[in-house]
Amino acid sequence: METNAISRRNFLRTSSLAGTALCLGFYFPANAKKEQLMSAATADQLGFEFNAWMRIDTDGKVTLTDHRAEMGQGSYQSVPQIIAEELEVDLKDVNIIFAIGDPTKYGSQITGGSSTIRGSYKRLLKLSATAREMLITAAAAKWNVAASECYAESGNVVHKPTGKKFHYGELVTDASKLTPPTEVKLKNIADYKLIRKPLNRMDTPMKTNGVAIFGLDKKVPGMVYAAVERSPRLRGKIKSFDDAAALKVPGVKQVFKIQMLVFNTTRDGVVVIADSTWAAMQGRKALHIEWDDTGFDHINTADIYKAHEELLQKEEGLSFKKQGDPDSILAKADKKIDVIYQTPYQAHAAMEPLNCVASYQPDKIEIWGPIQAPDWVQGDIAGKFKMPKEKVIVNMTFLGGGFGRKAFLDYTYEAVAISKEIGAPVQVVWTREDDIRQGPYRAGISYRGQGSLENGEISALKFKMAGQNIDHWNGPARGHANESTAEGFLKPYYDSIKNISFADVPYEMPLPNMWWRSVYASTNGFAYESFINEMAVLAGQDQLEFRRKYLKEERCQQLIDRLEEVSGWKSRKKNEGYGVAITECFDSTVGQVVKVSRKPDGKVKIDQVWAVMDCGWYVNPDIIRAQVEGSIVMALGAATIHEITFKDGLVEQHNFYDYLMPRMSDMPPVEVHIMENTADAGGVGEPGLPPFSPALTDAIYDLTGKRVRKLPFNMNTI
Amino acid sequence: MISITVNGQHHDIDADPNMPLLWVLRDILGLTGTKFGCGAAQCGACTVHLNGEAVRSCVTKINRAAGQNIVTIEGLSDNNNHPLQLAWNEISVPQCGYCQSGQIMSAAVLLRENPNPTDQDIDDAMSGNICRCGTYQRIRSAIHKAAAMQPEGAKL
Amino acid sequence: MKKVIAISLIAVIAGLVTLSFRTESTKKTNYPSSVKDSVGSVKAFMSVYKVLMSARCMNCHPSGDAPLQGDDNHIHAMNIKRGTDGKGIYSVRCSNCHQAENTAGLHMPPGNLKWGLPPANMRMVFQGRTRHQLALQLLDPKQNGGRTKAQLIDHMANDDLVGWAWHPGDGRTLPPLTRPALVAQVRLWIAKGAYAPSAKAK
Repeated sequence: METNAISRRNFLRTSSLAGTALCLGFYFPANAKKEQLMSAATADQLGFEFNAWMRIDTDGKVTLTDHRAEMGQGSYQSVPQIIAEELEVDLKDVNIIFAIGDPTKYGSQITGGSSTIRGSYKRLLKLSATAREMLITAAAAKWNVAASECYAESGNVVHKPTGKKFHYGELVTDASKLTPPTEVKLKNIADYKLIRKPLNRMDTPMKTNGVAIFGLDKKVPGMVYAAVERSPRLRGKIKSFDDAAALKVPGVKQVFKIQMLVFNTTRDGVVVIADSTWAAMQGRKALHIEWDDTGFDHINTADIYKAHEELLQKEEGLSFKKQGDPDSILAKADKKIDVIYQTPYQAHAAMEPLNCVASYQPDKIEIWGPIQAPDWVQGDIAGKFKMPKEKVIVNMTFLGGGFGRKAFLDYTYEAVAISKEIGAPVQVVWTREDDIRQGPYRAGISYRGQGSLENGEISALKFKMAGQNIDHWNGPARGHANESTAEGFLKPYYDSIKNISFADVPYEMPLPNMWWRSVYASTNGFAYESFINEMAVLAGQDQLEFRRKYLKEERCQQLIDRLEEVSGWKSRKKNEGYGVAITECFDSTVGQVVKVSRKPDGKVKIDQVWAVMDCGWYVNPDIIRAQVEGSIVMALGAATIHEITFKDGLVEQHNFYDYLMPRMSDMPPVEVHIMENTADAGGVGEPGLPPFSPALTDAIYDLTGKRVRKLPFNMNTI
Repeated sequence: MISITVNGQHHDIDADPNMPLLWVLRDILGLTGTKFGCGAAQCGACTVHLNGEAVRSCVTKINRAAGQNIVTIEGLSDNNNHPLQLAWNEISVPQCGYCQSGQIMSAAVLLRENPNPTDQDIDDAMSGNICRCGTYQRIRSAIHKAAAMQPEGAKL
Repeated sequence: MKKVIAISLIAVIAGLVTLSFRTESTKKTNYPSSVKDSVGSVKAFMSVYKVLMSARCMNCHPSGDAPLQGDDNHIHAMNIKRGTDGKGIYSVRCSNCHQAENTAGLHMPPGNLKWGLPPANMRMVFQGRTRHQLALQLLDPKQNGGRTKAQLIDHMANDDLVGWAWHPGDGRTLPPLTRPALVAQVRLWIAKGAYAPSAKAK
């Protein structure tokens, strides 16, 4: 081990931090397969800039770093909740700060793919248990007793036989000089005091009195405000612009042209700099810009779906997965279905419109904002502005929602470019219209599902999808299927159904698209699980029982049992429609049952949603419930209320008056249940979304006999 | 100069009389608890109390507020202890939290006028506030919870 | 303190409502009179009807308790309710978004000092009314806010909120007649005998 060798060699060298605080963190070398846990002292000896992931000061104050963005999903609570458990401190004594962007210190920081917990919990447990053991070792040495006679509790080390205590603060000087042990014992789940408990979130108080600082709330000295009128079409260029009226708006200081990089393309814009957000917005309205749209595809939504349908009829596409020979079975089968499902383009529409504060200085760039991937931003800005990475400081604020959009690098780049131009710190504020109309979007997808039955059993399944591939934005088409072609589809189906194929029929389109909560599972889930429901109907079998036959894996069986029990599936009454769907997303499986009925006025309403989440090892059940509740609302909007459409290359929606949102009066009661097991942790923030729309449309079929295959649909006209 | 009273404090504002109250609060007075969400009175994130009414500050010109009393989320209670704030904390309503200032300011008017609201009353009063995280179910529970606290001496 | 403000506000609003819809049964009517002409009267009303059923008028005279929006008369988003005084309820009072004047810009809230629906006890529904029904309703003081025929003409001619229909802000279509043309047709309808189109009239 290089670490130990070097630390032995430099044995006498003391860290700048050693003696004043116990700091532990990880180092993620660029080429290493595995991160290294180290103390500040070791890092100092190795010449690494240290990440105090966890710091205990001599006064006993504990500061924990949340390396991931807090955008509503609860990392601000769940990361400390894990650390405090093994460290044996009370959460009320803990101070939490957000990390800056730095992958060598924190590993991947992208808050996406529901990865915060599943991606780092083992590491966090080890980190905090290591600190605990170092503190115990230090205490035992002070008392001159065996470490085995000591234990940690509420920020103290206690000597069991005598009851003597040291507060952590009294131990950090000694502990900080110890070499972290390589092996530490972790607690059993049964012994957890914090993990798996529905503790209240520590960020709630500051979110009920206006204290929490979101990106838009960030102010830095000397900061001015910017609003940008960008090309309404992706590749539109500025032909000319007239800023005379804009410059007359009181408070407007400066107007100039700027280019925002959108993947490998650019978006022209005109920036208005002013002394308030309002003045910048007014100045922007007063601009007169002539756009050059030459060469741009004048896209229409109807054409997109027509092209999808033609492709799905004509092309076999690129095979993603194939087992058995579904084609020849389908060709011979008598009992079969062949249907098309379609899902719409969607905007993220986080409540906090995009914004970013940037300060460009010749030797340093600093950014503050609602950022999902500070490490990516750091790398992106360093590269594009030719600045050493360590001179690019990316600070995360709270995010007013993200859903994938705030992991994109366009708005941060643009803010830095503007700051560089004016030579001052600037906050760039997007309007709601910018947010809705500029993209990138979740791509709308069309699917063709073909399936056959033999003796009431599925004999073959064949799926093809046609829609934009997110990956192609990062480079040219690579001649293989979309890696997310089967996302959402439960793996145990492959064991019980002998003949299955998935193919991606490539469909290229110059609309910028991007991850959207639960990514392809958000749209695949609708097609694949709707199709399973249609197969159940074809077989004349109960949808839930039908799944039980094919999802033989034990955790699936348990989830189905639970779903059946909590929803009262077996005791459902006439005039009630029940629907079900189960999907997999980011290593978690979620099943949902939706119940619908007709109101006295004949319209269909959702009476209740039951969700069962199996995410394996978990931290905070209340946060899980909240995430599933929220995912269902987001899915409800995407299934029944809004979509992004294009006409002549322009987005037809603008704001919440034409990109409508579910509101309080649309909210059905949602009940969330969590499966108890100790399997590896799965994601929580996104997996609750995909099963909702297929379960809802299945319930509508159950009630009305109408099968909805195209989203969104209008609940009022069913 | 336009005189306004915000959270009990008098301010003389030197601004374009057409500037929405939202930007006066945020950019001039530094009260950033009131949020910008849509700029078109569609989402309710900017809700503040103007003489006790839950106005959308993004479309309310500072002119309208001249000489009037404004309360923002920062001034709703002395110590984050309005029954709604207590209930919001107890039920862990917020996720991202961005819309919650507006949600609480709207709910405060509902509770003041109807100390014991039904689910229908909550639907009627709260459908002007969008929450993209989908915390509606918890907002509903928290309003009921705050309503239940009132007889125990909590003040509105 | 807040309660006092609220109560006094309600009192002021109630006062305004009373003023707007007060009955003046004792006041002598002075509407223009001319020769009765049922055909001409009905014809004039047909023009009046077209205006009243246009989005700018009908959207605030809905059949339900929710205002309508847009040229397609869709139900107002946000689950908005009339309330007793017609000015909305709780945290969704009309004036919380609708200012004393239109807010500039497409799809921004239109505005007027009196913005609101008729009150719950005098709903003055236009939506869904036939020509026959609407004519009778407009003439019936029990259903028209206690107005005499003269006051009805005055309301159409001079009421500030009615006048908003011809200054509806960016992107909203105007009623099919100008305001003076509407008022002329109302006068004609009444002057020629204030006949209601037959119940069978389409």
